[in-house]
Amino acid sequence: MQTLRLDAARLPDFIARLMAWGAVWAPVETAAGTFTLQIIEDVFEARPDVLRTVVPFKKLLLPPSFAMLKGGFGDVAGVDPGSGDDDHELCIFYGAHACDVHALKILDLLYLSNHVDPYYAAKRDKLVVVAFGCWPDEKCFCDSLGTSTADDGFDIALTPLDGRLLATVATSRGDDIVRASADLFAAATPDDILAYLTRLSERRAAFQLQLDVTDLPYVLELKKHDPVWDELARKCVCCGSCSIVCPTCSCFNVADWIEEDGTASRMRTWDSCLYRDYALVAGGHNFRADRGDRVRNRYYHKQEAFVREFGMPSCVGCGRCIENCPTGIHVVEVFQHVRGEL
Amino acid sequence: MATGHPYLPASARVLRVNELIPDTKLFELRFQDPALAEAFIFRPGQFVELSVLGVGEAPFSLPSSPTRRGTFELCIRRAGVLTSFLFDHISQGDAVGIRGPLGNGFPIDLFEGRDVLLVAGGLGMVPLRGLLQYLLDRRDHFRRIELVYGTRSPDRILFRDELEHLAEHGDAAIHLAVEDTCGLPFKGRRGVVTELLDDITIDPGSTFAVACGPPVFYKFLLTKLVDLGLGKDRIYLSLERRMECGIGKCGHCAVGYTFTCLHGPVFSYWDAINLPELIYE
Repeated sequence: MQTLRLDAARLPDFIARLMAWGAVWAPVETAAGTFTLQIIEDVFEARPDVLRTVVPFKKLLLPPSFAMLKGGFGDVAGVDPGSGDDDHELCIFYGAHACDVHALKILDLLYLSNHVDPYYAAKRDKLVVVAFGCWPDEKCFCDSLGTSTADDGFDIALTPLDGRLLATVATSRGDDIVRASADLFAAATPDDILAYLTRLSERRAAFQLQLDVTDLPYVLELKKHDPVWDELARKCVCCGSCSIVCPTCSCFNVADWIEEDGTASRMRTWDSCLYRDYALVAGGHNFRADRGDRVRNRYYHKQEAFVREFGMPSCVGCGRCIENCPTGIHVVEVFQHVRGEL
Repeated sequence: MATGHPYLPASARVLRVNELIPDTKLFELRFQDPALAEAFIFRPGQFVELSVLGVGEAPFSLPSSPTRRGTFELCIRRAGVLTSFLFDHISQGDAVGIRGPLGNGFPIDLFEGRDVLLVAGGLGMVPLRGLLQYLLDRRDHFRRIELVYGTRSPDRILFRDELEHLAEHGDAAIHLAVEDTCGLPFKGRRGVVTELLDDITIDPGSTFAVACGPPVFYKFLLTKLVDLGLGKDRIYLSLERRMECGIGKCGHCAVGYTFTCLHGPVFSYWDAINLPELIYE
């Protein structure tokens, strides 16, 4: 780990040089107040400070829909068509926040262990993460989940301080990138470090939303058959928005598709456990036909089952589900309700 | 995985198709790559994903035993788009895509030197037929082998000739039940599987039970097996779920964080009790 200083005035230069390493994806304001993670063409489009793009970075690693295999109709297998990306070009995610970095670690856990997913692995290999220090709003609750800071999982982290940024270099590739722009960076001074620490404690105090995770897996176990899930099901329309915007939700559907010219593809498309057919099997049995079961399943998967398996929840507290739920379901309130506090 | 790419199927040729009952066929297959055909070793209770590009892919239990090398079988019921395509367009000599073996399979090592009680309902006979073949092929490694199998009617019994032959001449005790004889000739019991269990005596201290059937089948069966004195960790179930990727990625078969395709499809009853909604309530 190496800590450097970058003058705020030179940040645009650094981003311009990043663009020479590969496609730089950053939050861009695509409608008033709406931010989209997209490839920037101009340095000044990038808004790394913005807390949430509607769809998170997962789309860079797990495209919403793509062909896993292609061939002729009736072929035994077809072939893996590859991503079509330029193999040498890096994909730079500029503006990752600590919650994104933790979400990336969770996706790595799922896709790079116990049968490595080759599509994810190929894209992951080319991903460069340039994190950017954020400041919480009323929907951020990462601090409750231990995901408000990250020690690793990024290549370079930039923390904005008054008039300059503290640059943390965490990987060999990050070091290559920084060294290639050595003229922009300087050694961090004791004053920079003091400013970083002051920001850290002020940021901690700025969190407005807390999720009480005390004994949460067991609390959920105890509340397995509680009417609270049916009450919630009356409010949830199972649109799947929370899954789509969640940085760790990565379920997919596999279905074959035939083009007019007779070519066939095995398509992999984002799915959501809230959709009615998600657990439907041949013969018509639906293992989660009730909306309440599906709603409960999503919260249990995040805060009960994942904790039991990996010792941490698969929610990183980014607040996207709160921001995007059309009926106003608020994840923190859901758990307060489960605990009988609302 | 056979191809080194977890989603890329290997080609297997259909050697024989045999209609077991009107909507269910037994396909005998062999990998086209001779090395793969010989190296294809699986554990009874594992499954494969069968696919035809442009039509789809679905998981199927293996009703054959790894003790019979070179070829393998799949018992398929016409139920959806892919299975209808197989019934209507795939015959002897055609090739299909196969990924696998997948899943954990039955804990066959635990059964060594023990009594094994197999309990099947309907199509649940499919994975148990593979296990039964395995047990019979290694007959001297096990004590009593008993199969209890129930279907709706006599014309729904899978592998009937084989089972009736075994019942008369074989090394396993076979008990069949039908809910309704529908006026057809049938020598077994009229009733359900749990009633068949009343007819037999088991040695609970030495017995492992293996059960597979539709979701409703487990409700009374598991209580019955426990009443007979079997430990909940000595009862194994092969469970069905929607599966797509088969390798614990797509999420469809997850119950909590347990993937039926990866950590299952075989679970002990004790494990199943501790996973909410694994057994249909």
